[in-house]
Amino acid sequence: MREAREDGYFAPLLSIDLDIAAFASNWSYCDRLSSYFARMISHNRTDSLLYANLFSSALNELLETVFRVHGAAGNLTCRVSRHAERDRIELTVPCGKSESAFYQGAVANLVGEDIEDRYRAALFREGPMDAGVGLLELAVDYGADFSVEAMPQAIRLVAELSLEGRRS
Amino acid sequence: MSDMDYPTFNVRYDENNQEFSIIGSMRPRQVDEMDSCTRSLKASIALVKGTFYINVRRLLRLNNLAFHTLATHLIKACEERPELRISIITSSVVGWSTRKFRALQETNPRIAVEEYDSDFYPGQIFLEEGSFIPILRTQTKMTWRHERDILPRHGMRKGLAIADICCGIGDFAVLVHKEFDPSRLVALDHSQSSLDYARKVAGDFGIQGIEYVYGDAADMLLEDNQFDLVTCRHSLQIFDRPELILRELYRICKPGGRVYVTNEKNSHCLGEPRAESIQWTYTEVARLFAHFGMDVELGPKSRRYLLDAGFDEVRMESFMVTNMDGDPQDFADIIQSWENVYAGQMSVQRGDDKAFNTRLRQGFQDHIFAATHPKGYAGWPIWVASGRKPQ
Repeated sequence: MREAREDGYFAPLLSIDLDIAAFASNWSYCDRLSSYFARMISHNRTDSLLYANLFSSALNELLETVFRVHGAAGNLTCRVSRHAERDRIELTVPCGKSESAFYQGAVANLVGEDIEDRYRAALFREGPMDAGVGLLELAVDYGADFSVEAMPQAIRLVAELSLEGRRS
Repeated sequence: MSDMDYPTFNVRYDENNQEFSIIGSMRPRQVDEMDSCTRSLKASIALVKGTFYINVRRLLRLNNLAFHTLATHLIKACEERPELRISIITSSVVGWSTRKFRALQETNPRIAVEEYDSDFYPGQIFLEEGSFIPILRTQTKMTWRHERDILPRHGMRKGLAIADICCGIGDFAVLVHKEFDPSRLVALDHSQSSLDYARKVAGDFGIQGIEYVYGDAADMLLEDNQFDLVTCRHSLQIFDRPELILRELYRICKPGGRVYVTNEKNSHCLGEPRAESIQWTYTEVARLFAHFGMDVELGPKSRRYLLDAGFDEVRMESFMVTNMDGDPQDFADIIQSWENVYAGQMSVQRGDDKAFNTRLRQGFQDHIFAATHPKGYAGWPIWVASGRKPQ
């Protein structure tokens, strides 16, 4: 793995590209992909086991969100890159209008001083879970910064987070 | 969980301790995938009086749906049973769990979250102080002279996947890395300060590729069947239940791989001249450790422990670190540090009187005298044992 560069360059670590229909055919792919990514990118972190656990938890929530909210056709791309202690997860998700609106709204919902209260409310709300709760969790519990970009028939969701030294 | 061809989590209820444990990975797609867990949870709560303990120390993964489902049942139980208290036991080793479950604590004052491993083994604090670190390095330097040749007889060779459990300050892992070039080397310890030191030493020597990991040797998060060789040196003897650690060493070892342990029999430390005083002191050292729940006489018992843990093809030998291994002053420095900790701290904490303490110290000084005497001999015996995990 490369050393951190001064110019803020995020060095690519791992990338996977697969048909969204294939991904959405099996729920366990969320767990398997997040666990595989986590193991591959954690070996040189201060505590590889702790880092892998945290990264797997974070990426799994994003992949579960994608599993539940995506367009009918196209490719899902998941890329992880790193600058110093900061990891960037980029998900390109096939989306129609309504799915695109969901991601735009979910990211817009991640600002404000009451974000922690909104996360707790979503977590303990009776009835079905809000599909955006995973993004809220990453923003609150993992200190992740999000951005979303509309693309033709897709969105690009970016989460940046620093997991080194992050213990409960 | 859905589409998995094997169960990813287990739950069990220990009625004696009113403790419900969830182990593994819980990432369901649908709530109904947790039906067996929630049925068991509700049935367990119904049996409880007072405090219900939920042990999630080994719950590695939990998605929001599973958390939401568990939380709903626990909050409801508190609402229906005003006398019920719930204590959730998390582990800092997992990373996410304490923070996640603390959110639940905020919903109801009768739900509490305790982080079990914030202080794993308080009795060992004597052995983890910063002042003891230089002497640990000297000890490893002196034992390595022997172990470098012994290890291949116990399965060590180049290119193995190795775990060094209870790695302490990590110097053994560095020596193994240099000498045997493992394909993977994980070094685990429960002391963050020791691990910080280990990482610094590895960095100073420009060594990359050792994964220093924080964890409880008796309850590791490392996966099953991962390592060709698992080492655990001078550590079974300072845990009150070594069989729990051996069970974990067995679990992470690959079938056909070996687990290698070293331990002492402190009362067999010896020296000439002044043998009698030396022998008295080390016999008392063994009793002193026993007072704090540690068995520094464990060395010769290693064979039994390994066989009882399920290993076969057990191999065993012993070696003696002596004042004739290199510089006698190194040996003397080790003894002096033992005196400082054992007589200076442990004996004092046990409440020994001054006369006893003086005599205890005298034995160490006599051992140093023997080590540095031009015609003297001083020894520190160590037992090596390894067992194969059956195929």
